[in-house]
Amino acid sequence: MPRVAADADPGTAGIVAHLAAFAGAMRRHGIRVGLSDEIDAAEALGRLDLLDRAEVRCGLRIALKVPHDAWAEFTRLFEQHWGGSSAHDVPIAPPTYASALRGPLQWRWDGTRVRLELPEPEPQPGADPGYSANPMLRQKPFDEASAHEIAAIEKLLQRLALRLAARRSRRLVPTPGHGIVDLRRSFRHALASQGDFLRLARRTRPRDQPRVVLLYDTSGSMDPHVRFHLSFAFALRRVIRSVEIFAFNTSLTRVTRAVDPGRLTRSVARLAATVPDWSGGTRIGACLADFVATHPHLIGRETTIVVVSDGLDLGDTAQLVAAMRALRERARTIVWLNPLLADSRYEPSAAGMRSALPFVDYFGPAHNVESIERLLRFLR
Amino acid sequence: MGLAPRLPIMNPEIKALQAAMERAGYIAEPDIATGAFLAAELGKPLLVEGEAGVGKTELAKVIARVRQTELIRLQCYEGLDANTALYEWNYQRQILRLRIAEREVHDPQALEEMIFGREYLLERPLLRAITRREGPAVLLIDEIDRADDAFEAFLLEVLSDFQVSVPELGTIKAQHIPWVILTSNRTRELGDALRRRCLYLYVELPGLEKEVRVLHGKVPGLNDRLALAIARFMQGLRKRDLRKAPGIAESIDWAQALVRLHQDHLDASVARATLGCLLKDEHDLRSTGEQVVDELVAHATGGS
Repeated sequence: MPRVAADADPGTAGIVAHLAAFAGAMRRHGIRVGLSDEIDAAEALGRLDLLDRAEVRCGLRIALKVPHDAWAEFTRLFEQHWGGSSAHDVPIAPPTYASALRGPLQWRWDGTRVRLELPEPEPQPGADPGYSANPMLRQKPFDEASAHEIAAIEKLLQRLALRLAARRSRRLVPTPGHGIVDLRRSFRHALASQGDFLRLARRTRPRDQPRVVLLYDTSGSMDPHVRFHLSFAFALRRVIRSVEIFAFNTSLTRVTRAVDPGRLTRSVARLAATVPDWSGGTRIGACLADFVATHPHLIGRETTIVVVSDGLDLGDTAQLVAAMRALRERARTIVWLNPLLADSRYEPSAAGMRSALPFVDYFGPAHNVESIERLLRFLR
Repeated sequence: MGLAPRLPIMNPEIKALQAAMERAGYIAEPDIATGAFLAAELGKPLLVEGEAGVGKTELAKVIARVRQTELIRLQCYEGLDANTALYEWNYQRQILRLRIAEREVHDPQALEEMIFGREYLLERPLLRAITRREGPAVLLIDEIDRADDAFEAFLLEVLSDFQVSVPELGTIKAQHIPWVILTSNRTRELGDALRRRCLYLYVELPGLEKEVRVLHGKVPGLNDRLALAIARFMQGLRKRDLRKAPGIAESIDWAQALVRLHQDHLDASVARATLGCLLKDEHDLRSTGEQVVDELVAHATGGS
C-alpha cells in the first residue's frame, strides 16, 4: 500500500492528480508520456518512499520510461513540479492551426526571416492529372510546381522508395518458389506421409523495409529551395514507413514528429516554431557530428542518408570529414542533393562541399522531376 | 507537494536489494536498484539501455543470483525468428519413432499422442522461461535491438500474456511469470509499443568512485593505488572524443591484464602497450597517441 508522505493532506488522490499534472507538463514539453505510463508511475509511487525526493525522481523516470536524451528536460520539470513549492506550470494555450489546407504553402522571405503563408485556393487550369511526361514539366523547378505536378512528383518518389527497398532481410520466410530448404517444415510435411519426404518446403529472404534519414539545411543560402525541401519530405514520409527528418543550420533539430503527412498545415506551423535560427548560417560538420553522436540507432545497414544542402559551411572542415566518414561506415547509401547543381555553371568548390564529396554515393541536383528520375536510375 | 529535499532515506526494500546485489558482486547505483525493485514489484519487464560494456547483461546475471534462480538467456541476432526463440519439435526423433512403430502392432491414436508429447518438444529459451516449475526464472533477452521489428512484435505478444500456443499441445500458460530483463545497445530504435510495456532504465558509464569499487570487486590482487589510477585514467579517456568509449568491461579487462603483468602502479609505457584492452577501434587507437596516453597517465597518477 502506498506510503504517503507525513504531510498527507493531498492524500493518494492528490498524488495521482499531481502526477497527472506533471505528465501533462511533460507532454507539453515534448516528452511522450502515455496513459499507461502514468498508471505505471502511480503504481511505482505506491511502492516508493515519498519522503525521499531522489528516489521519487528516479522511480518516476523509470516508470514513465523517459528516454535518455530527455533526462535534462525531465529533471527540470521534476524540480518545478515536485519541488518544495507548489508552483504549477502555467498551462500553455494549445497553438491554433488553420482548420484545413487551402492550397500550397508559401514560404516568403521578408528580409529578416522566412515566413509561412497560406494563400487562398487558386483555380486549377485544366492540366493533366497524374504524371505528365511533358519534358517542360519535368524540368520545371519544384518551387513553381502546381498541385498536380506535386502529385506526379509523389508518384516518382514512390518508385524511389521501392528502389530504396532493394536490400533483402536476413530473416527467412516460407516461400512457394525457390529458396533454401526449410527442414522444419519439410519434416513436418514428411510426418504426414510416415516420414517420407514427398516434397521439400523452402524459405527465402524477403525484401527489407527501407529506412531513410533526411537531413535538411535550413540556412539562409538555401532559402529559395525550401518549398522543395518540404514537398520532398512530405512525399517521402507518405511512401516510406520509416523516415526520420532533421533540420540543421547552426544546430540540429529533430523534426520528424512535427512533420505529419496527414496534417500538412499543422505540420508546417509546428516546423516553423521548432527549428531555431531558421535561415541563419550553417555549421554542417558540427550538425552532422551531432547527428552521428546523438542518434546512432537511426543509422543502420538499411539506412539511406539524404543530405540536402548547398555545402556552404561556416564551420570546421575536419569535423565534417570525420562525421561523413562515420556515416559512410554505417549507412547503406549516402545521397547528397545540392540545389545549386541545377545551374550548369556550378562547381562544387566550397571547402565544405569538396571535403564531403569523397564519402557520397550520389551527388546531384534535386530541384525537378528529371533530377529525381536520375537519382532513381542511380539507385537501380 | 511537500516533498522537502533531504538526504536519501530510500525504501528499505530497495536498500536491501542494493546491498544484496553488492554482495553478489554488482555495484548498483540507487536508480539501478530502484529499477530492479520496481520491475519485480510491478511485474513488468525491465528494458535496460546504455553504452556497450556498462554491465547491462551483468545486471541480469546478478539479479538471478540475488533471487537464487536460473538465468535463461535469449541472445538476439538479425534474422532470429519465433521458432528459434520458442520451441521446436524433435523431428528426427519423431520420425525414428514412426519407423520403429511401423513394425509393431500399434494404436495410431496412442502413437500420435506419443510423438507429440512433451519429450519430443525441444524447449527454446522463451518457452523454458514460461514452463519452469521451480519458481520464476530471470529471462534475459539480450541485445533486443539486433533482432528485427517482426521479432519485436512477436515478443510483445509473449511478454503481455506469458502464454504460448503450440498447435499440437494446446496453450501453455506460464507457471510463474519470469522476471524479464531486456537489454539494448541502441543500434536501432525500439518500437514504442515494446518500450511502453517495459520499465526503462538507462545505465550510464560509471563514475570514478563506482569504477574503483567495481575494479576491487572484480579483480582480485589489485592494489588500491592501481585501482584508483586505472579508474582516473578511464575517466580521462572517456572524456576524449572516441568512437567507442571503453566501458566498465574494458576497465576490468585492463586491470586484469595489468595484474597479470605484475604491475603495482600505472606506468606510461605499459599503458601504451596494453591500450588494445581499452580501445577497440583503429581510428580511436590512432587518435590516442603516445603523448595523449602519457598525459592521461600523468593525470591519473598525479597526487596519489
